[in-house]
Order: sequence, then C-alpha cells, then structure tokens
Amino acid sequence: MIKIDRVTKMYGQTVAVRNVSFEVEKGEILGFLGPNGAGKTTMMRIITGFFPPTDGDTFVEGHSVLTEPLEVKKRIGYVPENPSMYTDMRVYEYLRFIGAVKGVPRSKVKESVEKTVEQCALEKVTKRRIGELSKGFRQRVALGQALVNDPPVLVLDEPTSGLDPKQIHEIRGLIKSMAGERTIILSTHILPEVSMTCSKVVIINEGQILAVDSTENIGRNLAQSHQIEMVVEGPPDRIVDRLTQIEGIKRVDNRGSTYIVDLEKEKDLRALIAKKIVENGFGLLEMKSRSMSLEDVFLRLVTEEEGGNS
Amino acid sequence: MRNIAEIYKRELRFYFSTPVAYSVMFIFAAIFGFLFYRNLTYYSNLSYQLMQNPYYAQRIDLIMGVFSPVFSSNSIILLMMIPPISMRLFAEEKKSGTIELLFTYPIKDFQIVIGKWLSAVTVIFCMLVLTLPAPFMAFGFAKNAEWGPVLAGYLGLFLMCLSFLSLGLLISALSENQIVSISVSYGALLGFWFLGWAVDPNSGKMIGKVLGELSIIGHMTNLIKGIIDTKDIVYYVLFIFTTVFLTLRVLESKRWRG
Ligand SMILES: Nc1ncnc2c1ncn2[C@@H]1O[C@H](COP(=O)(O)OP(=O)(O)OP(=O)(O)O)[C@@H](O)[C@H]1O
Ligand SMILES: [Mg+2]
Repeated sequence: MIKIDRVTKMYGQTVAVRNVSFEVEKGEILGFLGPNGAGKTTMMRIITGFFPPTDGDTFVEGHSVLTEPLEVKKRIGYVPENPSMYTDMRVYEYLRFIGAVKGVPRSKVKESVEKTVEQCALEKVTKRRIGELSKGFRQRVALGQALVNDPPVLVLDEPTSGLDPKQIHEIRGLIKSMAGERTIILSTHILPEVSMTCSKVVIINEGQILAVDSTENIGRNLAQSHQIEMVVEGPPDRIVDRLTQIEGIKRVDNRGSTYIVDLEKEKDLRALIAKKIVENGFGLLEMKSRSMSLEDVFLRLVTEEEGGNS
Repeated sequence: MRNIAEIYKRELRFYFSTPVAYSVMFIFAAIFGFLFYRNLTYYSNLSYQLMQNPYYAQRIDLIMGVFSPVFSSNSIILLMMIPPISMRLFAEEKKSGTIELLFTYPIKDFQIVIGKWLSAVTVIFCMLVLTLPAPFMAFGFAKNAEWGPVLAGYLGLFLMCLSFLSLGLLISALSENQIVSISVSYGALLGFWFLGWAVDPNSGKMIGKVLGELSIIGHMTNLIKGIIDTKDIVYYVLFIFTTVFLTLRVLESKRWRG
C-alpha cells in the first residue's frame, strides 16, 4: 500500500532523514515513533508530496511521489503537526472548498462534506470561522479536511499534541475506528499512544530507523534482553559494585533501594545474583523478572544507539 | 480548470471579506476623481478661451487635454495601490503555514498561481471600472468625443497594473513576510520606473534606448494618447508572462530546498 524506499532528506548540509525504508500494508495503523527532531515531520512531508526527498522515493498504491505526485496526493489525507487552515473561512465553507480542490465530483461535494461533519462531530460549529474555534475543534476540522475526499491513506503528524485528555481520547477513538478501512501513518513521541492505537511501529532517531516491528513483537523481542528488578537492603555503592562484578551483568541502575539489572544474554542469572547478595550480607527483599514496557524499549533503543555511535 | 476556479473564488472572497480590496478601490477612485475633476475644470476654462480663436478650436481635444494627463498622473498612484493587493498572495500562506496543506492537495502549482493571480486581476479590474463614471461625465459635456482612445488609455492602465501585480506576485513568493514583500515590491517597481529616466533616450545612446524600452511606465505613453502600438502590448504581455513563470520556478525551487 505504502512503500518508503531508501529516502534521504537534507536541509542544506543537515541530514534530517537518512536512508529510511519501510512498508505499510493496507488497513494497518503504523506508529512513527521518535523523539523531538528525529525526522518524523520531515518524513511525513515527503510521503505527502509537500517536498521531494533528496534521494530515494515513496510510493502509494504503486504511484511514485516523484513521477506521479497528483496520483499520490489524491490518495492521502494529511493532518500536519500544527495544522494551519484559512482562519477567515467558516467550517462548512472550508470543507466544501477542500472537497472541491481535492477533486470530489461536483454532485457529491455536499454529501461528502455532510458525512465528514458527522464523522468528526463538527455539527455545532459548521457556521463558525475556523480562527474562532478551540484547539480541539480545530484539530477535528483538520481531520475533516483530510477525510473529506475519503482517501485510502491518512497521514497524521502528532494528532493529539496539545489536546486535553478527553479530546485525546476522542481523537484516538476516531483513529482506531478507521482501522482496517484506511491505512494510517501516525507520528508521535508519546509511547502509550502507539501501544494503544497502532498495529505496527517504526522507531526513528536522528533520521535513522532503529526498529520496525509489530507493536507486540517490539515489546517481546526487547524483553528477551532481560532485566531484573530487585529491592535490596544495604549500602547502594557496595551493592552496585558487587553486582557489576558478576559476569553477564551489563548495567545496574539504582533508585533508592530498587535496583534494575540489565543482563547480557538470555541467561537466567537470578539464582546466582541472589546468592551473591546474601553472601555479601545484604538483605534481598524482592526480586522479579521484568518484561519491558514500550516506554523502556523506546528509551533503550535511543540511548543504545547513541552509546554505540560515540 | 475547476481547481483554478476554486482557488480563484477563495482568494476573491478573501479580498472582499477584508478591508483590503475596498480600501484600495475607494482610495484610488477618490484620487482618480479628484485629478480628473481638476483637469477637466482647468481644461474647460482653457477651451472656452481657445474657442474664441478658430485656429486653436480645431486642435483642442479631450484626450490630449484631459485623459492623457489624468492617466499619466494616475500611473504613479497605481504603482502605490497594487503592492497592497499583491503582497499577501504567497507571503501570507507561507507565514501562516496554510501552504503546507495547499501543497499536499492534488493540485498543480500553476493552478494555484493562476487562481491567485486572477483574483487579484479581478480586484484591479473592479478598481478601474469604478473610475468609469468620470469619462461618462466628461462625454456628457463634449458630444463629439470618441471612446476609442479613452479605452486604449484604460487598456494601458490595466496592462500596467497587471505588470505591477505580476512582479508583486513574484516577490510575494520569495518572501514570507508581508512587510518585506510590500517594501521590496515598491523598490522594484520604482526601479523599473526610473529605468526610463536613467539615460536620456534622446541622447542617441543605445543604452538609453534599451533602458527606456524596459520601463513599465514608458510603454504607457502611446496608449494613454489613444495610440495602440503592438510593441507596447507585446512588452506588457511578455513582462507579465515572464514574472508569472518565474513565480512558478521560485515555488518549485523553494520546495526542493525544503
Ligand atoms: N526547514 C528546515 N530547515 C532546516 N532544518 C530543518 C528544517 N525542518 C527540520 N529541520 C531539522 O531536521 C531535523 C528533523 O526535523 P523534524 O521536524 O522532521 O523532526 P520531528 O521528528 O518532526 O520532531 P518533533 O517531534 O519536534 O516534531 C531536525 O534536526 C530539525 O532541526
Ligand atoms: Mg514534527
């Protein structure tokens, strides 16, 4: 459905996106996850044809954004990070204008606009000027302009940023309700958003892809690198010191009396660790194997990459 | 075609939903009316005296006596009226960020440019039409006057305005600040105007001739006298075409640079 083929984008000398490739199947919701400045917005602007990549190409239903930009643009509804719309226009009038520009047949424009108004719950504000709307309503109008021509692909750049929890919940519900019928790419730096709404995740940092997998798999694969969480009584310095001496332990994190131990391989060192602690006269109060939340995965992926580079 | 029409309608609605179009039109109509009235009264006094002399009576006419000087002094007024219309065309969309969505719609750059350009052309057209009561009034006094030369003069004003507009459009595409856009437009337009004065065209030097030919206002001199010369029309058409084309290239290259 959507294919990103070795895309690189430079702003002058700065590389914003480097050699990125991934694919999205029909009906999938793909989460595009990365910290600030990772290149998410840049990638979305390339996919939507706002500007061309410096190198590489992207395809939507087999149409290249470089050679057939209009075919690509017809199939995509885009909600930018801070959607700017014509603030002087009224909601209904605006959606009608966008519908026409996006090529909805004349006879169907009214119908499409009404459907969009209903879908995005805009009934109450159709006659209001966009500039006068609250952030939440404006976000829904932005979603409306993306949906008005009923495109098979939606590209949403941080669709919930700046909304209150109730509005976030509504927008996420709306996105999820479209799963299956539309292919959606959604960027975010909010981890729970990905696990809540997406079926697949691409993690990007400093313009490079760190991981592509299903939302479940990413958690599981990384969980295999094993972490142990312990509560130990005793002087932290000495405990950390003793623990790091054990072969197979990569890193020890200490917060109060809680210790998080990163294990090198898939070796179960729990018995050995317990023994060491008791031998040294510390009190082992609690110990459990930790399966990582997506949040840990994310932080980890990013920090690991950085460590590897330097 | 439909895309151009949609962009055109939106832009036009914007012009008329804000005070921009109205204020420019009103100010211009007022100035035009004042200059016209002053020239007409001066001329009618003069012609009354000249009528006494049969030799001069044949030579006086409304075109040379009233319209030509009025059109001529209005060209500088128009130079001031057009940049407020053209400055926002792209600068505003870039500043507010609406261009991001516009560029992701299935619509070609040239359709956007032409739609915007035509909306401003319409404002200019209305602006000139609003001054038409003046010649109607004048013709009420002078029964034997002809419309032809007056319309040629209007054609000259219109083409000159479109040249100002197209240059303003190009500058608007280059900038995202409307104040910069309008200032540079004034600078560039005055530059094109002064080209005509840079070297005395009668000095016989080649450079003087060439620069004179490039001056936007220089090509008005014949038209406002009621003489339609293909050379002048070609100049304006070429000027408009070139600047609009450059606008397209600017948009394209800005995109490539991100
Ligand atoms: N117009 C531009 N000119 C120069 N550099 C840019 C431009 N836009 C973005 N960048 C740089 O490119 C990199 C990627 O930016 P991008 O906006 O794509 O990140 P992002 O992942 O969307 O971040 P955020 O979460 O803050 O929105 C950043 O380092 C940014 O500074
Ligand atoms: Mg961004």
